[in-house]
Amino acid sequence: MTGLILENVEKFYGSACAVTDVNLHLPQGKLVCFLGPSGCGKTTLLRMIAGLETITSGEIRLDGEDVSHTPAHERNFGMVFQSLALFPHMTVGENIAYPLKLRGVDKAAQKARVTELLAMIQLQQMVDRPVAKLSGGQRQRVAIARAIASHPKLLLLDEPLSALDAKLRESMQVEIRQLQKQLNITTILVTHDQREAMTMADIVVVLGEHRVQQVGTPIEIYRNPANAFVADFIGSGNIFAAKALGGGRVQLPAGDALDVPISDTIKAGAEIRMLVRPEDLQLSRSDAAAVNRLNGTVTFIRDIGATIETTVDCGGVSLTALSTPNQSLGLNVGHPVSVTIPAEACRVLSA
Amino acid sequence: MSQKIRRSQPLLPGETGRFAAILSGVILFLAVTPILTMIVMSFSGSANLDFPPSSYSLQWYKAAWQTFVSPDESDVLSLGKAMTTSLMVACLTMIFATLIAVPASYALTRCEFRGKAFAMQLMSLPLVFPMVVLGLALLLVFDSLPFQLNTSRLVIAHVILALPFVIKNCTASMMTIGSEVEEAAQMLGASPTRAIVDVVVPLMKSGILAGMLLAFIVSFNEFTVTYFLYNIDVMTVPIWMYSRTVSSLDPTVFSFAVLIVLIDFVLIWALEKLVGEGGVSF
Repeated sequence: MTGLILENVEKFYGSACAVTDVNLHLPQGKLVCFLGPSGCGKTTLLRMIAGLETITSGEIRLDGEDVSHTPAHERNFGMVFQSLALFPHMTVGENIAYPLKLRGVDKAAQKARVTELLAMIQLQQMVDRPVAKLSGGQRQRVAIARAIASHPKLLLLDEPLSALDAKLRESMQVEIRQLQKQLNITTILVTHDQREAMTMADIVVVLGEHRVQQVGTPIEIYRNPANAFVADFIGSGNIFAAKALGGGRVQLPAGDALDVPISDTIKAGAEIRMLVRPEDLQLSRSDAAAVNRLNGTVTFIRDIGATIETTVDCGGVSLTALSTPNQSLGLNVGHPVSVTIPAEACRVLSA
Repeated sequence: MSQKIRRSQPLLPGETGRFAAILSGVILFLAVTPILTMIVMSFSGSANLDFPPSSYSLQWYKAAWQTFVSPDESDVLSLGKAMTTSLMVACLTMIFATLIAVPASYALTRCEFRGKAFAMQLMSLPLVFPMVVLGLALLLVFDSLPFQLNTSRLVIAHVILALPFVIKNCTASMMTIGSEVEEAAQMLGASPTRAIVDVVVPLMKSGILAGMLLAFIVSFNEFTVTYFLYNIDVMTVPIWMYSRTVSSLDPTVFSFAVLIVLIDFVLIWALEKLVGEGGVSF
């Protein structure tokens, strides 16, 4: 089977668990994002794949070959570090040629490959520049060029964009994604920025509390979070407690009932948690009773120009709705308002 | 009557008042007075050690030159031979201290091991240990050996004395090297040893050079410990000067001293040049 396979991989520092029970299959040519809050073990997992960290147990296989205990320098994986880790005593060209020099590639071929890579990252004139004389984005590109110079089997990116300012980061995300598709190289990106993950990834692996919480495409993760952790971590969501009534209905703490797509396996009377995304909520001034309509009071408005976030208190359940300025109802804090929750937008969370 | 405009602006951090400037001037002057006195004395025209000299001449420099090119039969050892020994010992000290200090400082910064704090303290022990006691102790050790060491025992003693300085400088530059560059080299295909040679050592260069020069200077100027260990065949320049001063105190030694100060001055200047601002720790 091609691609990278992780089987029951775990890492303990003494008795402290860094990451456990990791079973993943990363298909060849895909960009996979390890997404999670800081301290969830995502960097540890990447470093284990890189060979910079030993694995406590489990197996890592690449294209069927067990690499669990291969030293880092024999794996031929490209890696871009958070600090980029360019060699300050070498020029741009020497940095990129370093992996080729180590492999005994002859001088002419080294030069050709460096020229080719510099053309790819559009820094042809910079070959003899010391790396200290480059801007943040240029350094970023050099680090990527160096990582792929020896045609690695896997490209590992450890939060490489975190040092850049927001605008440059967004354009680098697109650039890296295009480069990755062009080279068709299996890539793992570690990030805590879900926007970055959504922009770049084919597959998102959500990590939390030292284990894998969900694996899926970005839209699956967003639309169908597997549990409360993923629902809470990805995007902003309204998560609230409810009680199953049976027959596709749930009851909120204040007594209102909602129609929701709830599976029959959840028995009537069970305590559950619901997720509704802010953009799915509809606000209206009318207080006429309707299906899935709750009445409440506006408690906070965040108007950031492009979007308006309105927080409404509906009998103890705080719901945040996202609307665009042209849908604005001209509400103020304290105004009464109705919130409609479309049944198909509700997700019942398993925990 | 026009009122004088008084500047009553408070001093900003980094600015100094007149008092502070005068005080630092006085302290600096006190620090260089011995060296200035010595330089003046070396140009003395009289045959005694009166200060200030009644007349000035280059006679002691001529005498010093004479001693150097055609040593007296009465001299126990020629200055030329002492100079050769000094340079050889200083160079060997420099080489060995560096060869020990580079791996040691790598281990002290990168590796975690039991007794690391203790090892670090042990390294700086020669800085606080009384020199006389150290000299005596080394003499006892070398005399109890079944074989005779001459130049090498000076080198061993000097390496011990120079090591704290070299390790301190190497460690300081090692601290600035993140472990990620080393890991990056490994990811690119360098074995751990190759990564150290290709990446860590070049980045430590300024610290290593500073340490090497300091080791040279420490060894070249060392007196107390050497005094216990020298013998008639192996004598360094400071010992030679001392024995000459004891036997016949004339301003010739001052001329030599000026030369030695010049050598040290050039070395320290080179050091600052090599390492740049704030790089050297003594």
